[in-house]
Amino acid sequence: MTAGTLPRGRRRGRSHGWRRSLARHGASWLGLAAVLGAWQLTAIALDKTVFPTFSRSISVVGQLLTGSVLTGDIVPSVIRALTGFCISAVLGVLVGLTLGYVRWLGEYCSAFINFLRSVPSPLLIPLAIAFLGLGAKMVIAVIVSAAVWPVIINAFDAARRIEPLYLDVARICGLRGFALFRRVLLPATLPDIFAGLRIALSISLAVLVVAEILGASTGIGYFIQNAEQTFAVPQTYAGVIILACLGWLFDTVFLVLERRLLAWERGLSGGLRV
Amino acid sequence: MGVVIGLWTVITGSGAVSTDNIPTVAAVVRGAAGSWQDLLSSLGATLETWALGLAIATVAGVTLGLLVGLSQWADSATDVIVRMMRPLPSLALIPLAILVAGLGVKMTSGLVAFAAFWPVFINTRYAVRQIEPRLLDSGRAVGLGRWGLIRRVVIPATAPTIATGVRISVGLAIVVTVSVELVVGTGGLGGYVLAAEQSGATGQMYAGVVVGGILGWALNLLFLAAARALMPWQAVVGRGLG
Repeated sequence: MTAGTLPRGRRRGRSHGWRRSLARHGASWLGLAAVLGAWQLTAIALDKTVFPTFSRSISVVGQLLTGSVLTGDIVPSVIRALTGFCISAVLGVLVGLTLGYVRWLGEYCSAFINFLRSVPSPLLIPLAIAFLGLGAKMVIAVIVSAAVWPVIINAFDAARRIEPLYLDVARICGLRGFALFRRVLLPATLPDIFAGLRIALSISLAVLVVAEILGASTGIGYFIQNAEQTFAVPQTYAGVIILACLGWLFDTVFLVLERRLLAWERGLSGGLRV
Repeated sequence: MGVVIGLWTVITGSGAVSTDNIPTVAAVVRGAAGSWQDLLSSLGATLETWALGLAIATVAGVTLGLLVGLSQWADSATDVIVRMMRPLPSLALIPLAILVAGLGVKMTSGLVAFAAFWPVFINTRYAVRQIEPRLLDSGRAVGLGRWGLIRRVVIPATAPTIATGVRISVGLAIVVTVSVELVVGTGGLGGYVLAAEQSGATGQMYAGVVVGGILGWALNLLFLAAARALMPWQAVVGRGLG
C-alpha cells in the first residue's frame, strides 16, 4: 500500500461513469465468488466431516427449498420474523414519537427505557417461555422485545429534532391530535425512522433464530439446531446459507421500498438546503 | 426509574397478579442475595468471553477496515460480501460453531469476535472513504509519508466513526455471549438465567435479567467515558434518550 492509493477527492467525482460502475459491480460479485471458491478448495483440501464443500451444501439448499422444510420451517420463520418486525415498527413509532413530542414524558421515562434496552434480549427468552410457553407467540414476543428499541430511539430523536417551523405552521392551521401526528410528525421523522427500521429488521431475523433454538419445534432456527444435534452437517450449513440469503433478501427489499416511499424526501431536502 | 420499581412493588404486593410469573421486588432481591456467589462468577465468565471476543473483533475490524478502505479495488471486491454478512444473523452460526469448534472458550469467543467484527469493519471502511480530501492533501503538502499520513491523518479522522462501530459491537458482543451461554446451557449469565428458569426459581431468573440490564447499561456508559477521554478533539456523537 502506498500513499498513492489513498482516495483522492478530485478523482472521485468522475468515477460515476457507467463503465466504472459496471467494473465495480463485477468486482464486488467476483469478491463473493472468490470467497466461495476458497471455501470449496479448503473443504476439499481439509476433507473433514464438519466442513463440507460449498457445492455439497448448496445442493442440500436446493433439496430443502423444494421439500417439506420450505413450508414446515422456512415459511413459518419468515412469518414470525415479519410479524415481530411489524409489531415493533408500529409500537416503536407510536412510543418513540409520543415520548419525543411530549417532552416531559420523554424525560420521565428515559432512565427506565435506557435500562430496558440495555437488557441483552436473549436473556428474556427464559422469561418469555415462562409466560407464553413454547411456540410462535413466545418467539414473536422476544423479537419485539429486541427490535422495538432502534425504532423507538430513532423516532424519539427525530421527533426532538423536528424543525420547529413545521410545528408552528401546523398549529396555525389548527392541526391537533391524530391529524398532527399523521400530517406533520410522521412525515418529518420518516427518514430517521426508516434508518431504525432497517436495523430492527436485521435484529428480528437474528433474535428469531435464538428464540427458535430455545423454544420452538418448527422454524429455521429449530431446523439448524436439530441438524447440528443429529450431526447432519451439510444440512446445518444449508440452513445457515438459507438464513444468510433471507437476511440479504430482507435488506434488499427494504432498501427498494425505502427508496420508493421516501422518494419525495430526497428532492425536498435538496431544495431546502440551497 | 424509581416510579417503575414502586409500581412493580405495589402491583405484585397487592396480589393483583399471580407471583408465579412476576415475583415481588423482595423476591428478586432475595434471589440475587441467595445465590450471589453464583451470580458473581457467572457475571465474571460472561465478561471474560465478551472482552476477549470484542478485543479480537476491534483489532481485526480496524486493521482490515483501514486496509480495505484505502484501496478502491479491495473496497469494491468486498462490497457484496459485506452486504451479505451484515444482515446475517451471527446467532445462527451458534450450531455451526459448536459443530466445528466444540463447546470451549475458543468457540464462544470466536463467535463473539465474528459477530462484533462487522460493525467495526464496516464503520472503519466507510470512514476511510469519507475522509475530507483536503485533509489528505494538506498531509501530503506538509510532506507526510504513507505511514505518517495513516497515523497522523487517517486514524484521527476516522476515530469517531470507528468508535461508533465499536459501540455497536459492545452491545452486540454481550447479546451474542449471552445467547451462546443460553444455547449451550453452561456458565455465564445466560446459563444462570436458564438454570433458574428450569428449576422454577423465578426470583433468581429475574435477578439474572436485571443484572444483565445493569451490565449492558454500565458497559455502554463506560465506553462513552473512555471514548471521550481518548478523543478529546471530537465530541462523541451520543445517540440516546435525554
